[in-house]
Formats: sequence, C-alpha cells, structure tokens
Amino acid sequence: MSDTAPESDTIVSVQGLHVSYGRVQAVRDISFDVPAGAVVTLVGANGAGKTTVLNAVAGLVKPRAGTVLYRGRDVTRWPAHKLVAAGMVLVPEGRQILGTLTVAENLQLGGWRRRKASAAAIDEMYERFPVLAERRNLRAGSLSGGEQQMLAIARAMVARPQVILMDEPSMGLAPKMVDEIFGVIETVRSSGVTVVLVEQNARRALRAADTGYVLETGTLAHSGPAARLLKDPRVVQAYLGVE
Amino acid sequence: MLQQLANGLFAGSIYALFAIGFTLVFGILRHLNLAHAAIFTTGGFLSVDLISRQGLPIWLAFPLVMLAGGLIGLLLERIAFRPLAGRPDEHFAGLISSVAFGGMLIALVQARYGTEQQSISSEAFPNEVYTVAGVSISLAQLTTLGLALVLMLGLAWVVAATPLGRAMRAVAENARAARVLGINVERVTASTYALSSALGAMAGMLMVLNVGQGDLGMGLAIELTGFAVIILGGMGSLWGAMAAGLILGLAEALTIHHIGSSWKDVVAFGLLFAILLVRPQGLFGTIKAREV
Repeated sequence: MSDTAPESDTIVSVQGLHVSYGRVQAVRDISFDVPAGAVVTLVGANGAGKTTVLNAVAGLVKPRAGTVLYRGRDVTRWPAHKLVAAGMVLVPEGRQILGTLTVAENLQLGGWRRRKASAAAIDEMYERFPVLAERRNLRAGSLSGGEQQMLAIARAMVARPQVILMDEPSMGLAPKMVDEIFGVIETVRSSGVTVVLVEQNARRALRAADTGYVLETGTLAHSGPAARLLKDPRVVQAYLGVE
Repeated sequence: MLQQLANGLFAGSIYALFAIGFTLVFGILRHLNLAHAAIFTTGGFLSVDLISRQGLPIWLAFPLVMLAGGLIGLLLERIAFRPLAGRPDEHFAGLISSVAFGGMLIALVQARYGTEQQSISSEAFPNEVYTVAGVSISLAQLTTLGLALVLMLGLAWVVAATPLGRAMRAVAENARAARVLGINVERVTASTYALSSALGAMAGMLMVLNVGQGDLGMGLAIELTGFAVIILGGMGSLWGAMAAGLILGLAEALTIHHIGSSWKDVVAFGLLFAILLVRPQGLFGTIKAREV
C-alpha cells in the first residue's frame, strides 16, 4: 500500500464505542479516526478507558454498542485472531511475552499466521534489534523490561501488520529505555505501519504523534493535532504539567 | 525375573499412553478431563467391534480407533468444556461436566454392546510368541510397546517442533497473549482434546489386544493407575508421564511376582506417596511453570 497522502485515507474508524464490564461503564460514546500511515495517540489518566478502547478495537473485549471499521469493513465482532490475520496487531499492556519460550519462539509465534513468509520478517527484526539476535536462544523471561518491550513490538511486526496497536509501551521502563522505545515507534511508523499508541506519558506520546485524543473517565475530552494539544492550556494543566 | 520386567514394560507402556493424553490436556489447558477413562473404554470396545464383528484387518482398525477417539475428543471439548470457558468456576465445573460426559459415553457403549465382556477373536492377531533369553514375548506385546512408544514420541515431537505445538505451548503459558498473537485459542483447545482422546482410545485398543477382551470396568481400573502416573511424573509433563507409566508398570509386575497380586495397588500407590514426600512436584514436574 502506498501512503502518499496519509490524511486522506482512514484505515481505522471507531464510531460511538461503548464498553461495559458488568454494570460498570468503562467507555462511553467514543469516536475517532486513524489515518493510514499516521501515529495517533490516546492519552489520559489511569482508568480513563484507554486500554479498554484499544482492547475493543483489537477484538479482545466486545463493545456494548458502536462500530469499529478497519479498511472500510465492519470488524466490530471479529475475534482477535481474525484481526491479526487481516493486519491489525496489538502489543498489549505489560508486554505479554511468553517468558518460558525462547526469544526465537516468541518471534515465530508472531508469524503464526504466515508460517513460511515469517522467516524473512524474523531476520529483519534481528537486524533491527541486534540485542534480540544475540539472545535468540534464551528464554524471553530472562530479558530486561526494555528488551521484552522490544521483543513484543518485534513480535507484532513479524506479522507484517498494517496497523499496530500499542498499549503503554513505555510503562515501567527507565528513562533511557523510554527514549529507545519511542525511537522504535518512529521506525515502525517510517516503515509505513500505522500506529495507535496508548500512553500515560502524555507529553512523549503527543510529541511522537500526529493526532491526539485525550480521554477522561471513559469519554473523549479533547482532540486535535498533537502539536496543538501540546500547547492547549487545559491539556497542559491536567496532563502535561510544567516541564 | 526378566519375564516379569518384560511384562511390566508392556503393561507400563499402556499406562503411559493413557496418562500422556490426560496430562496433555492438563498441562496445556489446566483442565482435569475425567472422561478420559471412558474414552479409553470406548476405544477398547470399538476395536473389538471393528476387528471381531466387522472383520476389519487390524492395521485398518488402528487408525480408525484413533480417528474415532479424536472425534469424541472434539465432541467432549465442544459440549463439556467450551460452554464453561470464562466462567469463574470453569475448572471445577469442567471437571463435573467431564464426569457426566464420561458417564454418557459408557452408557452408550453399554447400550450397544451390553454388559458382557467382549472378547476379541483369537485369529484377529497372529498368535506368535518369541523366546529371547528365556523370556517369552508375544507379537501383541511387541506391537503394543512399539506403537505406544511411537505415538508418545510422536506427540512429544508435535508439541516441541510443530507450529501447532508452539501454539499449544503459547496457550499453556498465557492464553491471552496467544490470542493477541493471532492464535485461534478455541481451535488449539479443540486440537488438544482431539490428540489427547485419540491417544486415550488407542490405549484402550492396545489393552484389549493384550488381555484379549474388553469390559465396561476397564476404564475404572486404569484411571487410578493413570492418576498415579501423572502425579508421579509431574502434572502436565509429557516425559514424566512416559517415564512414570513404565516405572509403575514395572513396579506392579515385580510386586505381583514377589509379593502377590493383591499387593499390586499398595505398592503402586506406596511408591507414589514415597516419591511425593521426596519430590512433591513429581519426577519431571516443576511446581511453578507448566512444563509441557
């Protein structure tokens, strides 16, 4: 796919999303569009519903109401594995790498849908992340937090996704590692993959993104070009603080 | 003495084959499938039917019994386990519904074949007996040992080296992460039951070939031994089930010879308690990680 005019081409569109856990309404009437090739971020405080939105888009939780369109198709009720096959892959919160399996096996599982084609993709990832190549035969659980996050992203990239959904990739990492992970997000984007990024680190996320959405207790509070949100006094006061 | 060891080995290979299917489901899905013994019994009766009533050659009956076992496994997963998935009492409820499924299966077997023992026709299997170093070994015993070993090693290979096996291990460790990777967890679960039950039915067939008949109680008889094997080997460990099955078979045979057949279970379960005192996780098990 060519992405000559990212803004013109919406790849993911969420319309009127409601999600409840039992009687608790986690997300109320959220709508947003993701242009192909862009980085879109959802920011907000802990418990604002960011992860719930991402999980609903990825097919892990079923929304009570609303629609998720992916490349123009209604995928609201699709199971997660079908969405992965169609090119939308989640890098979940807490990384969810398989600690007792080796690094290589984790990457192979990323290519679960593609089997043969994935060998080349795995080699590419080893090139991009030499540290993973060095440790390919070690148990993934023995990697550091930052390395595990790299593995989780590399594993998702092996599936050759068109959209990658990242849930709190910088969570629990040392500042230097956070820089590294945002660098990885930039390379993911430059390889033509659309990124939907959920982050508590709002300033970093907005700096990396084209468009931002600010969630507050399950609803959309602000939205707009990321550069504008970074200067919006309401956003600065509530989420960015003074640097 | 050597004869006892040989007999123990043959019986042990059936225990191991029975147990490996049971432990596979536990290791990957954390389900206790109490219908496994009923599937074993069904496999036994089905092989008598195919060979003695339908007159099928034995080499054709082997794959058919495995296929039937696999299909029953799919059905078992679909009606006894899948509807409970995601419930907070999933594991306990599944245990109960698998007991119910096993009961229904045995009732169906009884409805078709009656309560009498079903003997396999003597000409079904060439009655060859070889004598090696004073030990007499029948062709049926050799076939049993060979098939059981091939099937168990085959299963270990599937789990260790195939995409399905990798997916199974991913589901075992973290079903949610597996789902995120694009693995169809429902299909992997169903495949696990199909494999497990195919091996369980095959163990029933090998038992019938060795003792010459099947009866409705054959599943109950092996079930307890099977549990002992699984715990001895370490819950969920395939290699543990293989080793412990053979060990228990040998221990039983030696007990029967040296002490008397009524002591068989005392020694078998005594061994179990003794090992659990020294190694609570079993021979091959690790308590924390699920070893598959």
